[in-house]
Order: sequence, then C-alpha cells, then structure tokens
Amino acid sequence: MKERLPLDILNSLTSGVIAVDMENRVVFLNRVMATRLGVHAAEWEGRHAAELLGHVTPHMASAQDEMNLRLGWPADPKAKRSQELEWRVDDQVVNLREDSAALRDANGAVIGRVFFYHDISREKMIDRMKSEFIAVASHELRTPMTSIKGSVDLILSGFAGETTADTQELLEIAQKSCDRLVRLINDILDLAKIEAGQVKLNRVPMELGDIVERSIRGVKSLADQGDVELQVERPDDLPMVEVDKDRMEQVVTNLLSNAIKFAPSRSLVRVALHLEDGWVQCSVIDQGAGIAEADLPKIFGKFQQVGTRKKGGTGLGLAITQALVHEHHGKIWVESQVNQGTRFIFRLPALPR
Amino acid sequence: MGIVRVLLAEDDPDIQKVVRMSLKVKGVKEIVVTDNGEECLAKLNEFTPDVILLDVMMPKLDGYATCRRLKENPATRDIPVIFLTAKAQHYEVKQGLDAGALGYLIKPFDPMALHDQIADLLASKGRAQEGQGK
Repeated sequence: MKERLPLDILNSLTSGVIAVDMENRVVFLNRVMATRLGVHAAEWEGRHAAELLGHVTPHMASAQDEMNLRLGWPADPKAKRSQELEWRVDDQVVNLREDSAALRDANGAVIGRVFFYHDISREKMIDRMKSEFIAVASHELRTPMTSIKGSVDLILSGFAGETTADTQELLEIAQKSCDRLVRLINDILDLAKIEAGQVKLNRVPMELGDIVERSIRGVKSLADQGDVELQVERPDDLPMVEVDKDRMEQVVTNLLSNAIKFAPSRSLVRVALHLEDGWVQCSVIDQGAGIAEADLPKIFGKFQQVGTRKKGGTGLGLAITQALVHEHHGKIWVESQVNQGTRFIFRLPALPR
Repeated sequence: MGIVRVLLAEDDPDIQKVVRMSLKVKGVKEIVVTDNGEECLAKLNEFTPDVILLDVMMPKLDGYATCRRLKENPATRDIPVIFLTAKAQHYEVKQGLDAGALGYLIKPFDPMALHDQIADLLASKGRAQEGQGK
C-alpha cells in the first residue's frame, strides 16, 4: 500500500504527467494523460516519446502548437520551460499549460525530464470575459463622454452665443474634468490590456538615446511652461536595445513629464544614459521636493499619487510605465531624497554589439 | 477640398446633434443624419455625400458591415468612409480599416477639430491618388 502511494497520487492528479529518461524513452505516463491521448499507460513505458507524439498530433488545435516534448530538451537540461497549448478533444478546444523540468533521482542527479499538462481553460475563459468587459466598459463610458465634452467644447467656442465670465469659468472646469475623465478611461484601458498580456510589442533593435531625444522634443513645451531646463547625457558607444518604439517613448515621456511636473521653476531635469553589467540604463533625475521614504514602496501602485500637490495625472502613469518596462524584460525602480530630488531608473537588456 | 455634404450614421441622438453642430460651425452646408447602417445605405439613393461618417455600434446594421457593403457596391465604393466611434481597441481600429474605411476617429472627439481631422484624411487620400497617377 505504502509503496504504491506515490504512484496512486500521480494517477489521481487532475493534471497530465509524462516523464521521459535521458534517451527520451517514456518512463511514466499518468492516468489523466493516458486518457487524454486515448492510450494505455502500461503499454508505453520504455517506448520512445517520438512514437507517443503520433497520438498527440491529432489533438493539436493549430499548426503553431508544438509541445516541448516534441521540441526536445532545452540547452540546459536543468532549465524549466513553460508554454500554453490548445488541445482539441472531439469538437472542444481545451487550453493546456505545459510545464517541463528536469527529472531528478534521490541524489539530485538529472535522470530525465518531466512534463506536466494543466487544464487552464477556466483561466482563459476568465481572461476572455475580462477583455470583453474592458471593451464594453470602454465603449459605454466613451459614448456619454462624447456628448458631454462635445456640448461643453461647442458652448466654450462661442457657437451658441456669448457666455458670461462666470459661465465661462464653470464650463472650463467641466471641460477640464471631461478631459481628465477621458485620460483616465484611456489609462485604465491601457493598463488592463498590458496586464492581460494583450499588448503586442513590435520590438526592434534601437538606440535608447534616440527614443529619449524624441520624448524630450515631445515634452519641450511642458518644460518651457514650467521654466524647467532639460538636459540629456548620452554616451556615443551605447549598445542597442530591443524595444517597441512607441511604447518605449511612452515610458520615457511618462517619466519625463512626471519629473517636469514636480520640478521647481528654474530647475534642471536630467536624463542620463549609461551601460551597466549588460544593461542599458536610463535615469530621469529631477531637483524637486522628493518622495518620503514611506511613500516609495507604493509609488508604482495604481491611483497612488504621493505628495501634497495634485498634479492632474490619472494616478496610473507609473503603473503603466512599470508594466511596460517589465514587458520589455527590463527593471524599474526609484531613488529619492526629500528636498533634494528624485531619480527614476530603468534598465533594459543590452543587445550584443 | 472643402467638405460640403456629409452623411452621418449614428444612433445616439445627442451625438448626432454634437456632430451636426461641430460641422455646421466650420461651414459644412449639408449634413444628413441617419440612425443606423440600413438607413445610411438607403439614403445614398437620393444623396451623394463628400464623405460618410459611421458609428460602429448601431441597430439593424453595424458600422463595419455597412462599410463593407459600401465598398462592395460600385456605385458607392468611391465615397470615402470615416469611422467615428467609441470602439477604441487596436483590433477594432484594424477591423474598421480592413472594412475599407479611409480613417478611424475615436470618441470622444474634439468638436472644434473634427472638421479639420476629416479634411486632413480626405486630403491624404487625394495625395495618395495623385501619387498613383490617378
């Protein structure tokens, strides 16, 4: 009874399990996986995984789906791998996540590889429902906003006749709030899409310095309004990074416009680029009021505007910035000292020269 | 090219008014408003606009289907179509342009800039056609 227990546990799992030895021969196939493939587990032990794949192929929902089992082993046999597959059973598509890891003996030596197949159809369905909700909510919010903003803008333009100074002022308040709501809707939607993995990055090799220069041009008028000087330190020989141009410009522009908004008049906002340990690093440095230490951990959170002054942001800018840097396999953090200024730093993997 | 005649398909009466006023203030002479895609297609038997503005979510026939029908019909396929819609997701914009639209404007729009945005899109079409020697 006791010796059989590990086997019974493996056979009672709701996830599929296939284990192969170093020569890719099947050493174990649990009950769920055998049922999914329509085979008898005992008949397969000792046979080559390539034979088993003949039973797998008809279940593949699309030509792009390839099991790691078919693709063979990663260069490092100890590496873990994970991917999602669509699996066809009769007329239904089941979403599976395939995880694979080294199979080790009691001494920790690698003796093969083990593959797990988890049914993630429910998670996928929730993801789809979330996306649908985002799309519908966005549409339903934009429609009344169109009427409100349109009417207010038209009255302010003088289309419907002259307005008194007080009416004008009140309408301008309404207009400003409308614009803020529109930005908020856009930001909520943008963040939800990034978090749901729905943003497709078109990553190409580029110089981060070029993106910084473009962002600088974009925020120039904001800096002029606040009497803030902008300065870029860009070494000539920086390696390229692989980025989505528009999304990376959004990252730099977000950091720059934040720095400008919080910079005192007649101060300097600096962007410094340099290479460090295989990363291209970008720092955006202001001479503003700084952020209290207690507030630093929540700075990238949603709707976390720290400090006393409301600066008209949506409270989502840094959350979006962080999510985009992570999507680029980068890191972002902040260093600050009260009354001295703040430094936002992000880094992206440098491409080989 | 000045915009003289516009056909709008939009089911929200408030937005119909805002679009009408925004274009009127910029000198558009004739703005014909319909409540859905079907009415829009029917109206083209009696009215030839310089441009058609289409909402997406409309009863009877939605904007994408309306646009496809306009582009399939030799009598209407040369009339420029521009979407004016709250459907702002990337794949929705693509769906609109794939249906054959010249442009895709997202709500809420700036009523004082709407006319110029439409005119810019029409001008870009004109330039593209000149470039092709048409």
